[in-house]
Amino acid sequence: MYKRILAIIAVSSFSALAIAEKSPIELEYPAPFLSGTPVPIVLPNLESADTPPPVVLAPDGVENLAYGKEVTSSDDFPIIGELELLTDGDKESEEGYFVELAQGLQWAQIDLEEEATIYGIGLWHFHSQKRAYVDVVIQVSNDESFSGGVVTLYNNDHDNSAGFGVGKDMAYIETNKGKLISGKEAKARYVRLYSDGNTSNEMNHYVEVEVFGSY
Amino acid sequence: MTDYQDSRSIFRRDFIKTGLVASGGILIAPHLAKAQGSPNGEINIALVGLGVQGRVLLDSMLNIPGLRFRAVCDIWEYSRTYGLRKLAKEGFEVNVYENIEDMLEKEKDLDAAVIATPDLWHSRHANLCLEAGLHVYCEKMMARTVEEARSMVLTARKTGKLLQIGHQRRSNPRYQHAYNNLIKKAKIPGRITNINGQWNRAVTPDVGWPKKYAIDDATLTRYGYKDMHQFRNWRWFKDLSGGPISDLGAHQIDIYNWFLDAYPKSVFASGGADYYPTREWYDNVMVIYEYDTSYGPVRAFYQTLTTTSAGGGYWEYFMGDEGAIKFSENPALSKIFREERAPEWEKWIDLHYLTQEEAPPAQEADKVDVRETAPLAKFDIPIVLNKPPHQPHLENFFAAVHGDAELNADAEHSFKSEVGIFRVNEAVEAKSVLEFSPSDFEV
Repeated sequence: MYKRILAIIAVSSFSALAIAEKSPIELEYPAPFLSGTPVPIVLPNLESADTPPPVVLAPDGVENLAYGKEVTSSDDFPIIGELELLTDGDKESEEGYFVELAQGLQWAQIDLEEEATIYGIGLWHFHSQKRAYVDVVIQVSNDESFSGGVVTLYNNDHDNSAGFGVGKDMAYIETNKGKLISGKEAKARYVRLYSDGNTSNEMNHYVEVEVFGSY
Repeated sequence: MTDYQDSRSIFRRDFIKTGLVASGGILIAPHLAKAQGSPNGEINIALVGLGVQGRVLLDSMLNIPGLRFRAVCDIWEYSRTYGLRKLAKEGFEVNVYENIEDMLEKEKDLDAAVIATPDLWHSRHANLCLEAGLHVYCEKMMARTVEEARSMVLTARKTGKLLQIGHQRRSNPRYQHAYNNLIKKAKIPGRITNINGQWNRAVTPDVGWPKKYAIDDATLTRYGYKDMHQFRNWRWFKDLSGGPISDLGAHQIDIYNWFLDAYPKSVFASGGADYYPTREWYDNVMVIYEYDTSYGPVRAFYQTLTTTSAGGGYWEYFMGDEGAIKFSENPALSKIFREERAPEWEKWIDLHYLTQEEAPPAQEADKVDVRETAPLAKFDIPIVLNKPPHQPHLENFFAAVHGDAELNADAEHSFKSEVGIFRVNEAVEAKSVLEFSPSDFEV
């Protein structure tokens, strides 16, 4: 169990303005809900299930900027669910609470409406069955089309099948705890999340995405 | 070493892609086999029931060339929408129906139906489809009661249509290898004396539903459900299903019967609805079967617990005087053990029936109590299923539709195998040993 680090961490910098009080981002977890029989998961870059979440620091008071924001996608006609589900604040994983995008490499994109400093991202693809999503790549940019100024925050594409380069991040098994990813304090308006199926089927799913940042 | 390849690759449909063309027509792969009764060589399919299990079957079917999806039938608009949109993306224009009679009335070009509805509807849906001239793949259990299951066998006989039951392990090459090679040819366990098996699951909450997708009360009543809670949680209600022993145990007790080439002569069981206040069916069931087999008497224990995942999930464990085969649909849970007294297995290793696991180096501090049996040598099964678990069974069904195969789990044999499962709940209630007579297994 991840325990909150109570100590305030002073971050040193050459700039006095950069000295800020920061504490770990703590995701709020939905209730666990597992159903059905999981398909055996075999991936060469799979993170151990008992790996603790990373410590991602953010200034006190940082909020989820993604809440209620517009979502677009490479699949503008989802198989089931609506794109708004990504940012509706509901992390349930049952029928009706997730959006399913087509097979193949697909992306979902959140418009934060203006540039923000991004400290962390909370991601829930699907958590009513243990599975791992593949070729998960998370990028941010100030360019809506992501044709320039792209910063990659996370990449678990170990064989570069998605074409964004070989990723060093580990794939992970989805649970109700989702995945906390460092925002690297990138400054961007748009957050784009890629995936290319999962270990149970070829489809792409999202339950919720949170973007912790400040304008 | 793992006997599962990178699990994402088993779902990649690289060999065939259909796609919508601009006119709304369908691109057809050119190399499709000739289906019986289908002049264009395709098998025209209706999906009856597109809940969680229906979607699992659909995902597997989308890997199989030569299938054309024509209709989706489900009482829940949410599932109908899923089928319509998913199949559209796959290049199929389907008609959607709430009512199966309506579907069968209007869809005149169907060759087969794949049924994954709740248990209470299996016999009704299967019988209607068979009577309409369709071949049927129906999920297990065959039905809610033994009488309903018997009616399905009779209808299949009468119509001459194929009826495959979803005991998918029967088509799994790993299970076929275990039966044909490890048990029948190599006789790895020696004389099988006992079986143990389980399917244990951790506590799960009841399944919910978003209010905006609720089915109206009149529709729910028309299809046998008191309310949405019952519709979504049908596995736990006595009028709708056989409970966990039917839902989970059916797969594994079928394996007991298959690997022993026998059906039980008696059953004793204990269970109860002890944990979940909202559920009617027994949430824990423990069963003891007695068999008379070609090996001699065999006693088999089986449990399904829905309040703990203890014991490592789901497996079947065949134990004999020369070895034991612990087997599971999940390769990671499978292992073979050799007793010291067994003849050498080199021959079987050379034939690639099994592979020996490298023994860990002995620890200086290890002391084996002379009263204990020393740890057994461990072996693995070098057979890989490089497809989703249900795909081979569906392939077998469609090959049979083409006339190229015999069904691996036809209704006649599935009925015999399920008789002993149907009676478990009866045995729990009776709190006594129930004996089977040969006539119980006849239709």
